[in-house]
Amino acid sequence: MNLLEQIVQATIKGDEEQCVALAQQVLDEGVDPVEAINEGFTKGMVIVGEKFARMEYYLPDLMRSAQAVNGAMEVLKPHLLEHGDGGTQGTVVLGTIQGDLHDVGKNIVKIMLQASGFAVHDLGVDVHIRRFIEEAEKVDADIIAASAILTTTMAYMPDMVKLLTEMGIRDKYRIMLGGGPVTSDWATEVGADGYGENATEAVEVAKRLMQEKRGGKQ
Amino acid sequence: MITFWDVVGRSETGPFMKEQDFDWQVGLEAGKLVEKYDIRYDPEQVVPADDDLADRVYQAGLDLFLELGIYCRDTNRLIKFTRDEVEWALKYAPTSVTYGQGRDQAVMVYRGVEDSTPPFCLCTPVGTSVAEERFVQMVQSYAQEPLADTFSSAFSQTVHGRPIKSGTPQEVEAAIWNVLKLREAARAAGRPQIGIHNLVSNAERTDATLAAVQADFGALPNDGLAVAATAELKIDYERLKKVAFMRHSGHNKYGLYGALMGGYAGGPEATAIVHVAYHFLGLLAFEAQHHCGFPLHLMQSCNSTRNLLWLISVGTQALSRNTRLLVNISPFTAAGPCTEMVVDEIVAIVAASTVSGADLDLLAVARNKHPERSSGMEARIGAEAGHVIAWQGMTREQVNEIVKQLLADYEDKIEQAPLGKRFDECYDLERVQPTQEYLDLYERSKEKLTRLGLDYSLV
Repeated sequence: MNLLEQIVQATIKGDEEQCVALAQQVLDEGVDPVEAINEGFTKGMVIVGEKFARMEYYLPDLMRSAQAVNGAMEVLKPHLLEHGDGGTQGTVVLGTIQGDLHDVGKNIVKIMLQASGFAVHDLGVDVHIRRFIEEAEKVDADIIAASAILTTTMAYMPDMVKLLTEMGIRDKYRIMLGGGPVTSDWATEVGADGYGENATEAVEVAKRLMQEKRGGKQ
Repeated sequence: MITFWDVVGRSETGPFMKEQDFDWQVGLEAGKLVEKYDIRYDPEQVVPADDDLADRVYQAGLDLFLELGIYCRDTNRLIKFTRDEVEWALKYAPTSVTYGQGRDQAVMVYRGVEDSTPPFCLCTPVGTSVAEERFVQMVQSYAQEPLADTFSSAFSQTVHGRPIKSGTPQEVEAAIWNVLKLREAARAAGRPQIGIHNLVSNAERTDATLAAVQADFGALPNDGLAVAATAELKIDYERLKKVAFMRHSGHNKYGLYGALMGGYAGGPEATAIVHVAYHFLGLLAFEAQHHCGFPLHLMQSCNSTRNLLWLISVGTQALSRNTRLLVNISPFTAAGPCTEMVVDEIVAIVAASTVSGADLDLLAVARNKHPERSSGMEARIGAEAGHVIAWQGMTREQVNEIVKQLLADYEDKIEQAPLGKRFDECYDLERVQPTQEYLDLYERSKEKLTRLGLDYSLV
């Protein structure tokens, strides 16, 4: 089994010790760390995500693999810039909208986005719409992603879109919505750019939005 | 003895823990207990008739609760309990609760495994979003069902034409409007004093909820309020404020617990353990008089899948065999109203719950997600099935065979379940009665269910 395949398998197993050791081996053997991430750790996490979507894996398994990859990334990160690629898939500001304390779905989306190479700024739960925008401005985000599980709190989502428009910065960001009562039709109706039925779909939508953004469609 | 104020005190003094670490601990500890108690999910025994398995699940749930305690999100502290404290609370837990008044009064009592006492039926669209002009008709469609012991609320998309936003003055207005309209629906149903088990389900903030719980608005002294824990095994001060109020007001209070299968706990075995542990949380932190569980499949947002039916059955048996708690199950279906699949799903969940010792909170359809997809007919389908199964004195073995045959018909369709019809498509809104199409569909389904062994001549 070659090194990249070993990384994929260690990621699927969620073996943090092995993932960290393999990351060090990548550096020792002069393998391109970007290749190790894309063809090893990310590839492994994609498989983990697929297993999770089919409920062959459960959330603790997903968390274990994500933690293992995070450990490996700590080893690789300092060397990414040397190879001329310190970039990410995109930067996402994520949170559960104000008044809402539910976060299981939001946390899963966070893990999956990070595993897919996005930089995620998680603001937690009960996040005021102004706070989403402040953070997006601060970190120069690409995407603002908000979750709601209550019908009384999803009502704030259109307010966020409206406020961004009133501030004249709506076009700077792609907006993704999700959560229990949120539907694709409703998200479109209130002016969002994307909707994720589940975490896997959220990642696909985030990638599509980044392609659009980088393709100059803003 | 332990009091509510001891619990609040411990939320300020208990061990500190980061929330993410607690989430990890739930899965780790539940996983260890699955091994320790040798708890195995058997897809062929969807409704297991294994008393020892049920008792092991109970012991594992108790062990988990004693090990982890409850997580308070406001203080990031653990609220821990001793075995003696839990046993004391169980010893003095209510074994009956009364809703409604006069001729509309109904009493929920403890049910055991394979109990011939029919299940108490709390009938509700579980907060399904509905247009303001149809709100009263939708909730009336539940209140008027003959087997409904109590009823509760849909979620009006607007109140006086304005959307409801948590934390705003409109939330207070909407909560009061909700109580007024629920009592109006009760009168329209000819059951003016039927109990409302959850007076306010359209307000997240406690101030709005409490503002609405007034006799002048139509609240009876023994109407109820739900207090919901958050996944997994977490509470916060917004929930405890409601409890503090109800300890004085005397309204009935019940716990709502939705363990997520595939979530922090892990698979069906570990999630069954967490489901049991929630009942101790509700008893001790909420002083809940009855306990409504709605364990859900993380991906499918329903509990009609094979592993969720097992979880519901074994978890309910665990509690019914080892406590005298009033255990309710809330079915969540994937399919929507006026479909053959929704009937199959409802009967499968109701059958597994009823024979295992549960009362019924009827019910959430179309994954409890899609506006206007809910009607009193689904509550009727569930209540009738529950009564038939109890009155026939069905055994777990018999129900297991029925549930497996129903699963064979719908299991493969869960992911692409039909949305079904809107309330205004499957009900005559003038008469607030189901359409002939829906009645005919139910009759056809009953013919199938009769062949499977349900005797509908009893209802």
